[in-house]
Amino acid sequence: MNLNRRRWLQTSSRAALAAGIGGLSLSHRAQAMAEPGDYRALVCVFLLGGMDGHDLLLPYDQTNYDHWAGARSSMLGAYSGARDRGQLRVLAPDNASAFSGRQFALPPEMPNLQRLFQAGDAAFVGNVGPLVRPTTKAAFEAGTVPLPPRLFSHNDQQSTWMSSSPEGARFGWGGFFADSIAALNGSPVFTGITSGGNDLFLTGNQSFPFQIGLQGAASLGLLEEIAGAEIDLFREHFRPQADAATALLDQDVANALRNAFDANESYGAALASQSALQTGFPESYLGAQLRAVARTIAARDALNATRQVFIVSAGGFDTHSEQARALPGLLADIDAGIDAFQRALVELGLVDKVTLFTASEFGRTLAVNGDGTDHGWGGHQILVGGGVRGRVIHGDLPSPEFGHDQDAGSGRLIPTTAVEQLAAPLGAWLGLDGAQVSAALPNLASFGEGLSLHA
Amino acid sequence: MPGDPGGGASPAPAPPSGGAFDGVFTDANETARFLTQATFGPTPTDLVELPGSSASDWFRNELSKDITPHLNKIGEPEIRGASTMFWRTAVEADDQLRQRMVYALSQLLVVSDFGGEVLTDIPEAVGYYQDVLAQHAFGTYRELLEAVTYAPAMGYYLTYLGNERGDAATGRMPDENYAREILQLFSIGVLQLNPDGTPTLDVDGEPIELYDNADITGLARVFTGIDFTEATVFDPDDPGALEWTTPMTMYEAPHSPLEKRFLGLTIPAGTDGVTSLELALDHIAAHPNLAPFVSRQLIQRFVTSHPEPDYVARVATTFDAGTFELPDGAPVGSGRRGDLGATLAAILFDREARDSDARRAVGFGKLREPALRVTAWARACGVGNPSPEYVTPLIIAYDTSMLGQKPFAATSVFNFYRPGYVAPGTLSGSAGRTAPELQILNATSAFGYANVMTFLIFGGVRDDEYQQELRDEVFDLGGDEPLEFDADAAATAFLPNYDELETLASDPERMIDRLDALFTFGGLSVETRARILAVTNAVPAEFAELRVQRAILLLMTSVDFLVQK
Repeated sequence: MNLNRRRWLQTSSRAALAAGIGGLSLSHRAQAMAEPGDYRALVCVFLLGGMDGHDLLLPYDQTNYDHWAGARSSMLGAYSGARDRGQLRVLAPDNASAFSGRQFALPPEMPNLQRLFQAGDAAFVGNVGPLVRPTTKAAFEAGTVPLPPRLFSHNDQQSTWMSSSPEGARFGWGGFFADSIAALNGSPVFTGITSGGNDLFLTGNQSFPFQIGLQGAASLGLLEEIAGAEIDLFREHFRPQADAATALLDQDVANALRNAFDANESYGAALASQSALQTGFPESYLGAQLRAVARTIAARDALNATRQVFIVSAGGFDTHSEQARALPGLLADIDAGIDAFQRALVELGLVDKVTLFTASEFGRTLAVNGDGTDHGWGGHQILVGGGVRGRVIHGDLPSPEFGHDQDAGSGRLIPTTAVEQLAAPLGAWLGLDGAQVSAALPNLASFGEGLSLHA
Repeated sequence: MPGDPGGGASPAPAPPSGGAFDGVFTDANETARFLTQATFGPTPTDLVELPGSSASDWFRNELSKDITPHLNKIGEPEIRGASTMFWRTAVEADDQLRQRMVYALSQLLVVSDFGGEVLTDIPEAVGYYQDVLAQHAFGTYRELLEAVTYAPAMGYYLTYLGNERGDAATGRMPDENYAREILQLFSIGVLQLNPDGTPTLDVDGEPIELYDNADITGLARVFTGIDFTEATVFDPDDPGALEWTTPMTMYEAPHSPLEKRFLGLTIPAGTDGVTSLELALDHIAAHPNLAPFVSRQLIQRFVTSHPEPDYVARVATTFDAGTFELPDGAPVGSGRRGDLGATLAAILFDREARDSDARRAVGFGKLREPALRVTAWARACGVGNPSPEYVTPLIIAYDTSMLGQKPFAATSVFNFYRPGYVAPGTLSGSAGRTAPELQILNATSAFGYANVMTFLIFGGVRDDEYQQELRDEVFDLGGDEPLEFDADAAATAFLPNYDELETLASDPERMIDRLDALFTFGGLSVETRARILAVTNAVPAEFAELRVQRAILLLMTSVDFLVQK
């Protein structure tokens, strides 16, 4: 979202107020604050377009850096030095020995992530992606192992990350997690929460995501203008009851509108009962979403929520073109957004209670197509939170060369860790028991154990 | 393509006598229903003039109307950008059928100025693309695909503008973006389809995937060598824009000389770029999936979210035949495969779209797109100055707290929603029925739409504070070069004219009847009618405008209106 976009947004909300359509929701008495107690939340940051893991966790030892720089040579000049080895932010993981002399670094635009990593509050998961079975290059090339359908396709792999099925899937593992934990919340409707419009991830058998806006709670400006007995007529209108005699879509829309009305009203009252967060957030779209998540977490007691799953999103990662110009800014946005979010959690005293992780439909080719990279498969993800086993690179990091055992061609990485192995420990940390985790991730058993992500 | 051997139309019978009733525009309700599907919404004049006349004539007349151009409207990014100025075209253009088809095609062959980068800063790029779609809206799909492929906005959006042949020495590969999306999104999809649009199943009952990544890398070689047309790039009289409003050129030096193999076609090594592209597009356009893939999505855009397979099959048959018999017996269409005029006629005049029994089927209908709700209001309510550049909620309509949808400003090439979207946790979803528009209905956008309509219906632009904010905003945006700000246009932008409705306001039942005809084609439910009546009667009769405003707002936020049937 560029500067002008934000300015228009401000004008619009002022315009809405001027025309009598803004304002706050119906006033409610603030609910009594419960003792800050048991709380845990997962925050998925979905990076739409396929984030290039090859440009996030960079090889730092000279030999492998040279391999990487060789593969990326036609693009390197455009970074204005930002991928020179001397500019990189070297990582010192506790499990360095697992990589037998190989070293890794972050790009210079991620100082906060480097700091969080070294402080033990951040980790990485290397080469994770959708799999049906553990897959070797030989089996991949011989076609002797079942593969996730429609590899390398954006929408299908987004869906597969969230649900293990391509487009058309109806349930995501975040939604199944929400099914399992909703009973712990006084208001189950606030168990799964989205700001980015990703409905699939948080849809379970009973759970459906609540959409939060970036400017606070949505409210109907018109209701501010109505007084007296009439207000009941309008309320009745805006929370329609489904009539079983009407068409399916009629009933679906009536249910959606009524649920939206009720949830917005409760959410507005809960936010209004909170004092403002002191932590400032960056003005990026991601920053605005993470601020909305932090505000929602701050209102957890008023929302009767003790376990929550959030999803936010950031776009622009489909760097087929001009990657050197586009990606550093996006990585800087991630870095600044995560930093602000962690500071907000410090303010709330919840650093150990929230785990943030990134996901993206695929990594990208190591090969360059001129000035960008194409769709890959496995990618590297970020994990942040006081509860995570930080200063560790979980999973595996294939070498930055072509033709190795995880290269499906052009440096598209065959994942060495399945999405289920990342998801399972997140579910367990959130409070699901083993049976619930297995039910949410039915293919987990194909890969044995999940990763050990939390201390 | 004069003399195209593919033409198979039988000789046209003598055209019927002009204007003879052909069974479609039976009354105001049926006319309004047809025009809601076929245009950006019926006007009060339409409902006086068209009932009893020939819908076939109407359709033929629409095909022959002059094209309303977009390029001449657009200007400053963010204020007169291509997606913003689309609202003006939708509301006031005379060639309504064509422009509605443009909008439908824009959701299939997506280009967007949402990104805030080049396509926002150079609005001519998307403006030219809109005109390309308009030019080919009633031509063949094959020609449309080629024109789209050479459109600079698409070349930029899907990153093949300047795409070069591979280089074994450096490991550089051709960009695969367009190769993937032209197959997956623009032409045949990913699964083999039956002629009725359902997936073909193999012996194990599994759907059959049409291609793998080898096909994509093979096709990607075809889309190398395409770049701005050289002579246009350095025109000092028109810096920047001309290259974006001229078809791109295939250059041979950067075009891949290797063999190009995909979907069973092998283009031999050494084939030149122009020929390679022709062969590739011919091959794609000849694929049996094309007709059901395109037909089903177009039906979704005009008539119903989950068309029955028979309906898809009938439209797909017309798509392949390129000709359709209108209700008065005269054929329409060139007879060439993929004729979009004939296809659109088949969609709109099909019994599934027209029959009242089909209309009452439990699975029929579509959630109206937010953008089309706004245009329906503007056309029904006599908006005389559709200047969207002064209406902030329309400029940022993409925002979820506004409409959550802005034409030509989708968030990605995957459009606002997916054609195969099955909404979880819904009755239609449990029945396995697709409902794309439900993908953008949520707690924020539901309220956003109601708030935007409140602003529009109550004439929010008349507010002094709003005008001051707008003026400041436009002034700030201009920086050193002040942008044009027409205070008179700003103060009346998208203002409705309720004069006629206000004359009915003293008799709310009659007023509601009128609104029912315009907006719900006689389908207003007893409950909604009673509620509108109660809310209207609560306003003293001398406040006629307020009665009208309240009635329209309640109607337009009712399920009766929101679900188009």
